[in-house]
Amino acid sequence: MRNILAIAWREIRTYFTSPLAYVIIGIFLALSGYIFWAHLVRFSELCLRFGSNPYFLNQLNVNDMVIRPLFGSLGIIFLFMIPAVSMRLLAEERKTGTAELLFTSPVTTAQVVLGKYLGAAFLLLAMIGVTLAYPVVIMTSNASPDMKPTLVGYLGVFLMGLSFLGVGLLISSMTENQIIAGVGAFGASLGLWILPWIAESATVTLASLMNSVTFGLWEKLHLGLGGPTLGDLLNKMSFVDHLKDFQKGIFDTEHLVFYLSVVFLSLFLTQRVVDSQRWRG
Amino acid sequence: MIDVNGLRKVYGDRPAVDGITFSVGRGEILGFLGPNGAGKTTTMRILTGFVAPTAGTAQVAGFDVQENPIEVKRRIGYLPEHPPLYREMIVRPFLRFAATVRRVPSKDVASRVDRAIERCGLQQVAGRVIGNLSKGYQQRVGLAQAILHEPDVLILDEPTVGLDPSQIREVRQLIKSFAGAHTVILSTHMLAEVTVTCNRVLIINEGRIAADETLEALEARGGRTRRLVLRLARPADGIEEQMRAIPGVLDVKREDGQAGVFQVETEGTPEVSERIAERAVAQGWGLLEMRGITLNLEDTYIRIIQGEAA
Repeated sequence: MRNILAIAWREIRTYFTSPLAYVIIGIFLALSGYIFWAHLVRFSELCLRFGSNPYFLNQLNVNDMVIRPLFGSLGIIFLFMIPAVSMRLLAEERKTGTAELLFTSPVTTAQVVLGKYLGAAFLLLAMIGVTLAYPVVIMTSNASPDMKPTLVGYLGVFLMGLSFLGVGLLISSMTENQIIAGVGAFGASLGLWILPWIAESATVTLASLMNSVTFGLWEKLHLGLGGPTLGDLLNKMSFVDHLKDFQKGIFDTEHLVFYLSVVFLSLFLTQRVVDSQRWRG
Repeated sequence: MIDVNGLRKVYGDRPAVDGITFSVGRGEILGFLGPNGAGKTTTMRILTGFVAPTAGTAQVAGFDVQENPIEVKRRIGYLPEHPPLYREMIVRPFLRFAATVRRVPSKDVASRVDRAIERCGLQQVAGRVIGNLSKGYQQRVGLAQAILHEPDVLILDEPTVGLDPSQIREVRQLIKSFAGAHTVILSTHMLAEVTVTCNRVLIINEGRIAADETLEALEARGGRTRRLVLRLARPADGIEEQMRAIPGVLDVKREDGQAGVFQVETEGTPEVSERIAERAVAQGWGLLEMRGITLNLEDTYIRIIQGEAA
């Protein structure tokens, strides 16, 4: 445990003693800040215009109109920025030779992978942490946002970011080249993001797919050809879909399990990839 | 302390290390000598657990590198060819980090770091960013990182490459000071390094061991004279043919540049020299000088690498 924390702490130090953390957090704040401000201005205009009408005023909800769209935007910014965080994680260690220090130290590969991941996750937490200022700004006004759904939304965005980070770390472990690691991570995350588009056209059912794979045996066993389609499965794997409930302030363990599984799977695969490099030299 | 048995590592279809066997005792300083690409680095990487061998075993302090990597790594300090330094870090925090991942107990970290800084002469740069240090200081930080946890075995891959002569001397002094307490394996392609620091030499070429001897034995090899230099006052044409006819003479070459000087390759017995002298006098060649050439270590090394029997 001490080794994991030492590796994570060193990672965090590197982020915050170099311009990296400040550039990333700064750009993240500028983009999300503008989006938040735009929504807020629109909301207050609506309030001014319809404030005299009690019927409309009841329809205006700061959670729905300002905070919920903010989470969607944070997700999209993450999509672009997390590859920049993850690309250097293992690729740089290989390139500069510091991997030789880590992997000849009495620590396991899993500890190195976990340490690196936790370090990057901390930067993610810092990125999200500073945006907590937005709901606080709203709270200082007359509008009183509901804090519980807001926090659930934050949890959702953080979990999605962790998943992106896991995928990015996995790709970073496969190459020495940071640009390849960055572009690869971006491509993979974008692919997982837009899965619903692909899902729309995938109307074939899983059962009939199984039927083709087993050369008709499936049908002979009367297992049925109906049921969920391939598109349904792809939808379940989309990173955005699982965020939707969190955005609404609904905490459903299904989505929690999904994101944590993605993280676990990518960390596990990273550990395998790094271990296999020992054999290839 | 170190037992290597039939170690083999194949990259694609090219063997980098092709079945080498050796052992190193406690406190020994072993020089790992060989041309570039001979397999030195690969062998060291296998010993440190960075690379897995294709076949064969390696043991450090009784622990197998493959089966007990953590126990092995605890006992090894390793300085790779390119010192593994986080360039953006400051020397002291970097060493603290290295000490922690090397599993130095928390309460000892500060004192071990101080000691390593002192031993490697880093006091003046301890507060500076590693990337801004000179190559010599970076190499010393690399060394400090390797000795932090006071390992039984120190593995140094070309520790003096890229340093200026005075830095080289300092680093060699430092390595020598580790003798006794640590077992040291040091790789180099420079012979001088071995003669200054090591007490045993392992010459490795094309993935195989070409020689495994103490420094004295290696020097003694060169002492067995086999080449004679002959200087004659009246070197007639065709004289080489006549000399080759003498029993025990293998080859004769006329030195270019110097008139009347010949290099004679012999079987190495005193009788041959005697017969050559007799012939020279009898034929009236005018024998001015005759001396044996002692091979220096460098020649011996090159001969071993080229596969000749020295």
